[in-house]
This record gives sequence, structure tokens and C-alpha cells, in this order.
Amino acid sequence: MQRDRGSRVVAVSGVGAVCGLGWGVDAVWKGLRAGRAGIGPFRRFDHARHRTHLAAEAGAPPPELARAIPGWGRLSIADRFALFASREAVERAGLSIPLGEEDAGVYFGSSTGGMFESELFFEEFLRDRGGRLSSLASQQVNGPGDAVARHLGVTGPVETLSSACASGALALGAALEAVRSGEVEVAIAGGSDSLCQLTYAGFNALRSVDEVPCRPFRAGRAGMSFGEGAAVLVLEPLERVLARGAEPLAVLAGAGASCDAHHMTAPDPSGKGAAAALSAALADSGLPAEAIDFVNVHGTGTPLNDAAEWQALRQVFGERAAELPLVATKALVGHLLGCSGSLEAVATILCLRHGELHPAPGAGAGADPELPVSLVVDEPLPLPGVRAAVSTSLAFGGSNAALVFSRWMDRTA
Amino acid sequence: MKEPVLLTGLGTIGAWGPGSDRLAEALARGEAPTAEVDRAAGYHLPEGAARAGLVPPGQFGCWLSSGESRRMSPPSKLALAASRMAMRCAGWSGTGEEGTAVVISTAFGPSTNTEILLKQILNEGPEAASPTLFTESVANAPAAQIAIACQATGPSLTVSQREAGPLIALGRAAGELTTGRSPRALAGAVDEMTPLLHALLDRFGALTREEVARPFDRRRSGFLAGEGATVVTLETATGLKERGGRALARLLAWGNAFDPTAPPTGWGTGVEALARGLRKTLSRAGLRPEDVDLVVSGASGSRGGDRLEARVLRSVWGDSPLPPVTAPKAVTGEYGGGVLGAAVLAAAGSPLGATPGFAEPDPELGIAPHDGSPLPLPATVLVTSLAAGGAAAWAVLGRP
Amino acid sequence: MSEAIAATPDRIKRLIVESLNLEGMKPEMIEDEAPLFGEGLGLDSVDALELVVALEKEFGIRIKSQEIGREVFSSVSTLSQFIEGRT
Repeated sequence: MQRDRGSRVVAVSGVGAVCGLGWGVDAVWKGLRAGRAGIGPFRRFDHARHRTHLAAEAGAPPPELARAIPGWGRLSIADRFALFASREAVERAGLSIPLGEEDAGVYFGSSTGGMFESELFFEEFLRDRGGRLSSLASQQVNGPGDAVARHLGVTGPVETLSSACASGALALGAALEAVRSGEVEVAIAGGSDSLCQLTYAGFNALRSVDEVPCRPFRAGRAGMSFGEGAAVLVLEPLERVLARGAEPLAVLAGAGASCDAHHMTAPDPSGKGAAAALSAALADSGLPAEAIDFVNVHGTGTPLNDAAEWQALRQVFGERAAELPLVATKALVGHLLGCSGSLEAVATILCLRHGELHPAPGAGAGADPELPVSLVVDEPLPLPGVRAAVSTSLAFGGSNAALVFSRWMDRTA
Repeated sequence: MKEPVLLTGLGTIGAWGPGSDRLAEALARGEAPTAEVDRAAGYHLPEGAARAGLVPPGQFGCWLSSGESRRMSPPSKLALAASRMAMRCAGWSGTGEEGTAVVISTAFGPSTNTEILLKQILNEGPEAASPTLFTESVANAPAAQIAIACQATGPSLTVSQREAGPLIALGRAAGELTTGRSPRALAGAVDEMTPLLHALLDRFGALTREEVARPFDRRRSGFLAGEGATVVTLETATGLKERGGRALARLLAWGNAFDPTAPPTGWGTGVEALARGLRKTLSRAGLRPEDVDLVVSGASGSRGGDRLEARVLRSVWGDSPLPPVTAPKAVTGEYGGGVLGAAVLAAAGSPLGATPGFAEPDPELGIAPHDGSPLPLPATVLVTSLAAGGAAAWAVLGRP
Repeated sequence: MSEAIAATPDRIKRLIVESLNLEGMKPEMIEDEAPLFGEGLGLDSVDALELVVALEKEFGIRIKSQEIGREVFSSVSTLSQFIEGRT
């Protein structure tokens, strides 16, 4: 099929993140590298009557953040995560706020936006028509993305995608396309979601949640763990980043997407939908499967998801699939739902940058003989010559997304 | 040179009933079908808005089997019905859509399911949460159901950007074709208007409390809430020629922008930022403002929204006179993609009646929407949508 | 429990019809031994979980995730035995 990809290489010039491992990319990488699961008891809401009781809750924000962001009191938690992560990403990219760019856009993913705050409102409103209406202002799923656009002074395209667990990755795919085509020069792309009772109760009603921290790809795994947070990448044309003397963190080489069209909650067990997204991302990147040095898996830890993903890896990587190192970020930060694709993109980029793959906790779970994979566990795996990786997001409802990142190597050095 | 993107089928369901013929009739007659909102739950203010453009009951029969719709949320049913209508209109078989992309926008998602779930959790406890309702409460449920129904295995995206969502979804879907990622696509919008959502919109002061909305009118006081789904089929010229079909319209350009001065639920003052976005969109179509034959405007009767829309149009047209401007949300209500349906119909030559509710121009805006007199077939149609919260999206349609 | 209640299989059948929104089906049309999932009524995993929520509420029990399987849920009969063992 004739592919009009545009000729521009798109670089990641800045990243920002907050999740159960901490606020800021440095704190997050420290936790990832240590293989420390941030999944444990949480206090966001009273979970006594929920079926499970764990989550990777983000701690309190840095105190200076509230002072730096106008209107802080009216923002939802998901908005605040998004603003923190985008400020960090923009700062690390060496850009300033307001962006003042006519050609900047925001591409965001979220599955519930300000739902947590809305739940508090609804509790009062449904009881006695009380509740502050203003707490609903951020209720929509596009709340965090719009808040970022407002804060950064963006006047270009602003879009929120809400395709469940693929949202954060699909947003990056949209941003990639926008920068490649020249529609924007700077794309602020990512996702944000906060813990809320609706999704907590909902996934528990589906019995998709493990009572212990999730164990992606491992024997005895029994479901996902919840997480929350935000992750943002700044994407720009490579030449533009180099021209201002900044260092690209990575190249977003390709994106692919597909739909299982199989079932609303269960993945296609053959893995062919996920394989199609992976193959499309590889084709889009121009890299062959052999060039991929590791995979940041979707790896929720549910029996069905991981099994289907294994099938997809086999189809795409053939005999290499069993030896290809797999990085299971959700084992440490839980499932960030609409943000997961973006957070895992950041994790992938950090692994590429540092030349080592972060581990999942090894204790308490053994390998699953049905899934003969090379999951990185216990210790970080050094990969000094690492060149490229793919990150997958396989969503509820069958929407699949895959992103190919390659390491930026300064060939002039 | 990018492959031209053609719109080959249109499916729509709303207060006007099922089918684009019904929408065309409502637009031609300049009639706004509305119904009483059920206010029994007591969510509404006593003096608040009482009517909305609601989908009449029992409309799905021939488009969905009871077996497949048993567990679907209202938006999934609406969107699937509209998709099947669009595919039938285009001459697609309705199944075997290998590689076809599905891009649906929704402002509020499945509101009924969300409300019931919240009540279960808050009133009975989290253990009472229904897995079926939860599955169908996610924003991407309609897109997922469409994909399952027609076996569309291409990219599946759900856009959520309030009133600008439908045209953003259209642009996203078109991008799948022009980059060669998908051979063809379904794009559209869906929303449902529940009593609770209606009551909350009214409490925010967004709705008109009259029986009609009055886009661009001096006395306008808010929009008419609506619900429904609108879906179009998109194909490349090559693909269409290969299968021997015909198109309703050509998508010449699309674009979107943002006004960072807007508060989360209102409109801002960023006229220049939005005007820049509109100019860019027109130039992508190779058009100057004076080349536009018809504006199908997303103006809805909102005081702030219509004002901003008028200012943006004025900024782009400058001293040149505007072409005829029609405001179909006076007929379709806000939400559900009615403006997208109206635009495709207009581009395909459907006659447009007067704008119901409009009587007195607002001197501050200086725009009088089309009065219903016969218009020549437009060669170029600009479609606009400004969203509360700052987003804006446009599309330009042309002859096939 | 002082009021007269219907037999467990009948209560289960009523729950199936109501909680799964099976239009046009009456509880008495479901046979005790008929397969519920896959063939027979053709219900799927989400239906099973919906039924679990309804059963927990109706019979005042908690059903563990590990107990939701093919054996217990294969027919009204097997479900009835399971419920009666728990109440």
C-alpha cells in the first residue's frame, strides 16, 4: 500500500511523568530500575467494600506545584497530574511556558478524566441535589488535555482520545502523524488518569483484578492492578531539536493501530489483532522485527491478556519471541488505563536512554510454562548496544496500539 | 499529492428519526423536533429547560437484532444503527471490513450506564456494580461495537472533544486514508441526552429555556440539547473507482485549533488563534474565503459560542461579504453530530430551509442565518464547530 | 427467612432472565440441565459475571473469583447445588 509518511524524523525532546513511584521522571526511573512495585494500600477513597484493596497511588504533589499553576483549587487530580507531567516535559525539552508557538498541538489520552471529583459531586447531588457544580467542570475525559493546552498557551490542534487502555499510545500516534506531516512543530502528547470508584468497581465486577500486586506473564497471575498518574512526551522534528542545541531523548520511529473486532472485554486469543498493530508499527518505522531489542509489553497480568499478547509476539518475532527481553512496567506502576500507553512509552524511552531494561519483581511468582518469555525480573538487564524497542497497548474493546522507539545516537560524536 | 477522500455514505438518527432522508426533511422544513424531558427524578430546576431533541423510542428495530443489542448502551445502539445506515447508503456489505478504521467522537460517552453504575456503587455498594453496564460505560464502547459488528480490524479511535469532536473525528479518519494506513473508514459522532445530563447542562446555564434555540439571534439564550448518532463512510477515489461506487461529497480539508483563554465549560476571547486555524483549513483546501459557497455553522444559540463563531468568521472574511450561513443545530440540537449530517446533505444538494427560532439578527454579530430561499448547489461548503472549553474544528466539503 | 420462597432453581432462572435482559424469554423456558454458556442459551463470560452479582445479592453470599468456572456455572442445576451448599 502506498504510504505517505512524510519525510520528517520525529524526536522526543522531553518527558515528564508522575505515578505510584513518584513525581518526576527521575523518581519514576529510580523506582522502575529498582524493580520496586508501587502497588499497595491506598487512601484516595474508602475501598473497604470493594473486592480488592490495592493500587499504585501517586503520593501528594510537590508543594510548589500548587503555587505554579493558576486555578489549582478547581483542577481535578487527573488535571494536576497532566499539568505536572507536561511542565516537566516542556522544561526538559528546553522550551518555555507559554509555548508561544503558533504551531504547537496537544494530543492526550484519558479514560475517566475528572471522574473521581465527579463521584464526590454525584454523591451529594444524587442524595439531596447538593454538591458544587464547578467540580463537574473538569469531569469530561478531555479535561486533562484541555488543561494542559490552556496552561501551555497552545493554539494549535488539541485532541483527546479515549479508547480505554490504548488511549495514551493512540494519542502518541496522532502526535507523531501531526509532527511528521508538518501540521505542528511541537506536539505535547501523553495521557492522564486518576483512581476513581467507577473503574475500581467496574474492573472488579469483571473479576479482572488481582488481590495481590499483578504478575504479568507469570504463573498464577490472576488479574491487573490499578495505577494512576500522567506521562507526557514532547515531540518535535529531529532537525528542530538539534538546531537549538538540545539532545533528543529518543526517536519515535513508528506507530500502528488495529482492532480485534472480537469481543468487548476479552482479547482475541489468537493475538492476531495485536500482531497487526505491532506489524503496522514496524512497517511505519521502516525497521524490521529483527531490529527490535526489547518489548515493553501491555502485560496487565490477566490470564487472557498476557496469553493473547504472547501469541502476538510469536507471530511478529517468530523464533526470537522467547528470547526477546520483555519489560512489564505494569508490575511496578499498575495499569494507568488511559495513561498507560504514555507512561510505558516514557519507561521505554528511559530504558533506551540508560541502556538497561527495568525489571519486574521476581519474588513470589515463577515463570509460566505456557508463556516461555524472557521477562526481565529482579535486576535490571544491561543492554548497552540497545537500538530500538516497541511498546504495546491492547485495550478493552479490542483497540490495539503499538509504538516503535529508537535510540538517538549522535552520529557526529 | 494526497489521495482525495470521498464521503460515500451517510447514516444518521436523532430527534428527526432514523435516516438521512428524515434529517433532510427536517432541515428543508426548518423544523426542530423536540420532546419533553423526563423530569420525574427531580434533577431539574423547577424553572429550568424542559425540552430536548430526543430520539423517538423504538427506532432501532430494523437496524439491530435484540440479541446483539441486549447489552448495549444507548450510544452503542445509536452509533451501530447509524453505521449500518451509512454502510447501506454507500453500498458496503456491512461486514468483512478488513483494515477499515473506525473513528467515533462522543462528548459525554454512555451517560445512562455511568449514572446507573454510580448509583449502584454509591447506594448499594461497589459489590453491586454491574459488569455489563461497566463494559458499556466506556467512551469507546460504540466504536468497539461497530468494529465487532462489521469486523473492522483497522485502527479504532474514540475522540472526546465536546462540540468539536465530530469534525476532529472526521479529520482523524481521513488521515488514516491519506497516509495509507487504512483503505477506508467509518467516522462519526454519538451522544445520548439523559435527564441527569440535561439537568446539569441547564444548571450550568448552557441550555435555552425556550422551546427553540436561536442561533445568531439577538435574543438567543442557550442551545437546544440533542442526542443521536451520525456516521459517514470514507473512501479514497481509487478505492471507490475500483468497486464502482459513487460519492456524496469530497472532503477537501480539515483542521482544528484551540483557544487557551477559554474556561473549561465556556468560550474565550481567542478570536485570532481560532481565525488562524480556520484560515489554515481553508488554505489546505486551496480556497480563499470568497471561494466558499456555503457555511454550515456549528452555531447553536449559545450566547458566547455564537458570538465567538461570528467573530472568527468576520475575522477571516474581513470586509468581504459572508456566503449564506446556515445553523442546523437549530433543527438538530447540540450533540450527536447533526451538523456533520447537515453538512454532507448540503454538499450533496439537499435543500436547506429557514433556521427555526431565528427572527432578529444580533447587531453585535451581524450574521443572519439562511432564510430558506432556494440556494444554488454549493461547490464548496465550510463546516464549523467551536467547543466549550476552547477546541475548534472545521472541515471543507466539495463536490465528489 | 420467614416468608415462603420459591425453590432455588426457579429463583436462579428468574435472575437469569432479569439480570441478563433476556427479552422474550420466560424463566420457565429454561431447563434445569440445559447448558447456559457456549451453546444452549449462548451466554458469555460477561453474562456469567453479571449473574454472579445478581446471585450474590439475591442469596446474600460472596462468590470468589476462583469459584466462577465452567463446572459450577454449566447449568441451572449445577448452580443450584452450589448455592444451596453455600446458604
